[in-house]
Formats: sequence, structure tokens, C-alpha cells
Amino acid sequence: MKNKITVRLSELIDAGILSSDKAQEIQLFYKKDLDQSQNRLFVIFGVLGAILVGLGIILILAHNWDDLSRATKTVIAFIPLLLGQGFCAFSLFKKTDSRSWKEASAAFLFFTVGACMSLISQIYNIPGNISSFTLTWVLLCLPLVYIMRSSIVSLMYIIGITYYTCEVGYWNVANPLASYLFWLLFILILPHYYYLYKNRPNSNFMIFHNWFIPLSVTIILGTTADHSEEFMFIAYVSLLGLFYLIGYLPFFKNKRRVSNGYSIMGSLGTVGILLFLSFKWYWEEFEKNGLSFFSPELFISFLLSAGAGALLFWKIKNIRTNKVMPMEVIFILFIPVFFIGMGAPVLATVLINILVFTLGVLTIWQGANENHLGILNYGLLIITALVICRFFDTEISFVLRGILFLLIGFGFFFTNYWMLQRRKHLTVNGEI
Amino acid sequence: MNYKKLSIIAFIITCLAQLYVPGKMILDREVVLKAGKEYKFLTRPIDPYDPFRGKYIVLDFQDNTFEVPAQSKLSDQKTVYVQFEKDAAGFAQIKDVTLAPPSHNDFLKTSVNYVGSTKQAEKKKLNIRYPFNRYYMDEYKAPQAEETYREANRDTSSTTYALVSIINGEAVLKDVVINEKSIKEIVEGKNKK
Repeated sequence: MKNKITVRLSELIDAGILSSDKAQEIQLFYKKDLDQSQNRLFVIFGVLGAILVGLGIILILAHNWDDLSRATKTVIAFIPLLLGQGFCAFSLFKKTDSRSWKEASAAFLFFTVGACMSLISQIYNIPGNISSFTLTWVLLCLPLVYIMRSSIVSLMYIIGITYYTCEVGYWNVANPLASYLFWLLFILILPHYYYLYKNRPNSNFMIFHNWFIPLSVTIILGTTADHSEEFMFIAYVSLLGLFYLIGYLPFFKNKRRVSNGYSIMGSLGTVGILLFLSFKWYWEEFEKNGLSFFSPELFISFLLSAGAGALLFWKIKNIRTNKVMPMEVIFILFIPVFFIGMGAPVLATVLINILVFTLGVLTIWQGANENHLGILNYGLLIITALVICRFFDTEISFVLRGILFLLIGFGFFFTNYWMLQRRKHLTVNGEI
Repeated sequence: MNYKKLSIIAFIITCLAQLYVPGKMILDREVVLKAGKEYKFLTRPIDPYDPFRGKYIVLDFQDNTFEVPAQSKLSDQKTVYVQFEKDAAGFAQIKDVTLAPPSHNDFLKTSVNYVGSTKQAEKKKLNIRYPFNRYYMDEYKAPQAEETYREANRDTSSTTYALVSIINGEAVLKDVVINEKSIKEIVEGKNKK
């Protein structure tokens, strides 16, 4: 069956618009593109298929066939695992160049390792401990990330270590130091991330890693909180600032916005925290007693702020075309505001509100400058969110609140209308 | 050594480790089953659902508390070593709880769930975690097993207990027994009727 391009090209040749040589060149160009996208599809469906088969095996064996003897059940528990190892060996030796084979077999082996351990637990009635089970499982599969170059196992590993750390750090804290193990486990996956960055920067797996890694770090950072947890606000604002800065590195230029987990998380997270702290009650109830300046929280805050500061400095020095954006400096401004809040709650509340408002205005300005409706409306949304938060503060009169909402509403209409008019004008003059 | 050779060696080691971990789990339990001393723990089962491991009965033990002096170093979250003895009816009861393992091998290594108070101010009550509180059953038989248990529970003359092997700190749950009959046999017998 002829595809659309072939049909269109032959029409163009018949009409005498295109020479047959050129048509062949065009066809070859699109064929390469088609091959690449087909390869991607193979990987996606291969991995999905392997995950579904793996889960299916777990469910069938979880039926716990009572008619089988303990020995038979034990042998059966090992069959999927051996099968998974066999598939991996096959793709490692025979399908060296096939990414779909490698990813699918590694994903399948990942699930069969978990299935085998949980089946043994079932056969011998071991109640087990979900945290140690998860940790053993992902550690047994970590080498597959490097041997098979498997990104799907890498993603599962990130999910696994995040779940493990949540279990020992948030839900069932047995040993406070256990949550620090995360950072060691996290470092173990970074070489693969670097490999993706160097060799497959535009792959779907890279996009997934660009979301999973910042998400995992954000979730886990809170487990380091001990007794001076108030300081974690500095740590989080600096971490999100760091993410935002990473998201605007040259690597992410010309990439789809949705593939940039760093900038989206950094931006939304920072605004979210600032909005939360824009309420007066937080600062009034700020628990100063027991806060220690020699706490791990403050140390981590310092490390993250220094890291974000260093990256900001590096960007200003080395990437001259990249102007400093308002969101990039929030973490620096936040630190003094936070310490002011320890002594003067009202002043801190006012400063945070000014910070959010200025951020909104500057974002609108940035959107207008870059002729970007998305950024412009994001700035307006920041201000809207701020106004909605203030709506809950009962001290402001209804009249004032009403006027604020009116102003914001008109602001939306006006700025969008103005931007669209300007675009029309620029298009007419041929400037776009 | 080139990358290919290295990855083959790493792959073989990984595969062996993946086989070793479940293999070790089996071996450890087999040792307990073969050499361990059998105890009967009086229970009260219920039936939740674990999507990961199929159906199982959660056992709630009747006698898992032990009184110690209030100033004792034994406290919650601590690892403890528990020794058992048999009461007049032949059921297990706690003989002693210590922070160090005893010299013989007839003990269970576990932890204290929580510490409660007693009527006497100079004593406190340790609630011991028994690491053999799940009994896995065939998916279709677990609900019937629960029903059987409820019937047995209404009948005050019936006794339900867990048969457990214990050695060197490890324990393996062998069976759940209602009136001297395995719960599996009871459910199978009901199916045949």
C-alpha cells in the first residue's frame, strides 16, 4: 500500500512541479523519519507488553494454588524469573542492536524478580516488611540498567527507591538515618541519566527522567527534616529555584515545554510555597522554640542555596544571551524574608505578598516582551491566585476585594486583547 | 577487558544474585521447618486482601503480652528475644523477653509493638509482634476459610490456633488449625459436600 507522501509526490511529478530525482530524495528523507518513529513504537509496545505479561504472571501465581505441593510451588515461582533472565541473555547476545528487545526483556525480568520473592514469601507465609522487600527488589535489578542499558528499569528503580524512602522516612520511621540512604541510591542511577543526556537527549525516556528525577528529589527532601522542620521552607524554595535554573539551561532550549519537568516543577512549586506563606497565620504560629542553627535542615538549606546560587552565577557569566528571569532569583530574596519572619511576622507577610505580586507583574512583562501568550497569562494567574488567597483574609473589606477582582478580570481581557492586536499589527507589517 | 565481556560477567553475577536471594529465603525457612520446635499459638483470624500476594488470613494472637518491671530497659521498637513455654493445655505462652539472645536456640527474634500500663504501677506490659501473622490460602478458599472461622468462633467450645516452628530467632507458620483440623482440610471438606 502506498503511503500519503508517495501519492502526493507522484501527483507533483505528474503535474511537472517536482523532478523524479528530488521526489526520491524527499521519499528517502521521510522513510528515515518513519523508521525512527516505528522503532520508538516498537520500544513502547514492547515495554508495555512485557509489563502486562509480568503483572499477569504475578496475578496468576498469586492465586496460591493449594492443590500443588510446597516443592512444586517453589519450582514454579522460579520459572518466570529464569525465563526473564533467558530473554535478557538472548537480547544481550543475539539482539545487541535492538533497543526494543533490551527494554522489553529487562522490564519483564524486573517484574519476575519481584514476583519470585513475593511468591516465596507467600509459600512460606512470611509476612515480610514492604520497605526491605522493595529495596532488595530494586537493588537486584539495578545492574540491568547498565548491562541492558534499560531506561524503563531505571524509571522503576527511581520509583522503587522513592517508595522505599517514603516508607522509612515518612510512614514508618524506625531509623531516622535510613532516609539518608536515598541519596546514595540516587547517585547510583545518575550515570545512566548522563548516558541518556549524552546519547539520547531527545528520547521519550529522557523526557520521563526529566520528570521523575526532580519529582523524586522533591518528595524525598522532606524526609531529612528532623526537629527544625521550619527551615525546610528555605531548602524547598532553593531546591525549586535550582530546578528552575536547570530547566532554563541551553539543553532545554528548543525542546517542548512539557518535556521540561524542571522548569514546570520549579516554577509552580515556588509560586505554591510563596502563596502558602503569604497567609499571616503561618508566620504568627511560626514555632521558634526548638529551632537549632546546627540542624541538618539548615545545613541542607545552605547546600541547596549555595548550589542554586552557583548555577545562577555560572549562567550569568557564561550564557550572556540568557537574561536573568524573575523566578530565578526568588530563592535568594526568600532567605532574608524568612529570617525577618522569625521576629516580625507582619513584615514577613507583607514582603512575601509583595514578592508574589512583583513576580506576577514581571512574568506578565516577560510574556509581553517575548510575545508569548502562555507566559503572559501565567503571570496573570499568579496574581489571580494571590488575590484569591487574600479573599480568605477576612480583614480586607468586601468592597476592596471586589475592586481587586474587577481589576484582575479587566487585566485578563485587556492584556490578551492588547497582545493579539500587537501580533496582528506585527504580522501586517511583516515583522513576524 | 572490553565492555561486552564486562557486561556478560556483570549479567551472570546479577542473575546469580537474583536467584540467590529467593533461594536463601527458602533455605532459611526449610531449616526452621525441619529443626525448629513446634508451638501452638491461640488465634483469632480475619480475612483482608493483599493484591500483591493473593489472599491470606491475618492472625490476631490472644497471648502476645508480657509484664516486666516498669524500670526495665525493654521498650517499643526495640529488638527483643522471646522464649516460650507450653501451658497446661499445650498452648504457647511467653516465658521470658530479653534484650540479648539466650544461650540455647529455642527463641524468637522480634520487636515490641508498644508498651502499655498495668494495674500495678511498678509494672508495664509489652505487646510483642509475632512475625508469623499471615497465612496464605488459595484465592477461592480464603473467603470460605474466614466463614469457617466465624462459625468456629460462634461455637465457644472450638479452639483455633497457629502451628509455628521456631528455632534460632526465626519462625515459620505451618498451619492454622480449628478443633485439631487444618483449615485447608475443613474448607476442602466443605467444597466436597
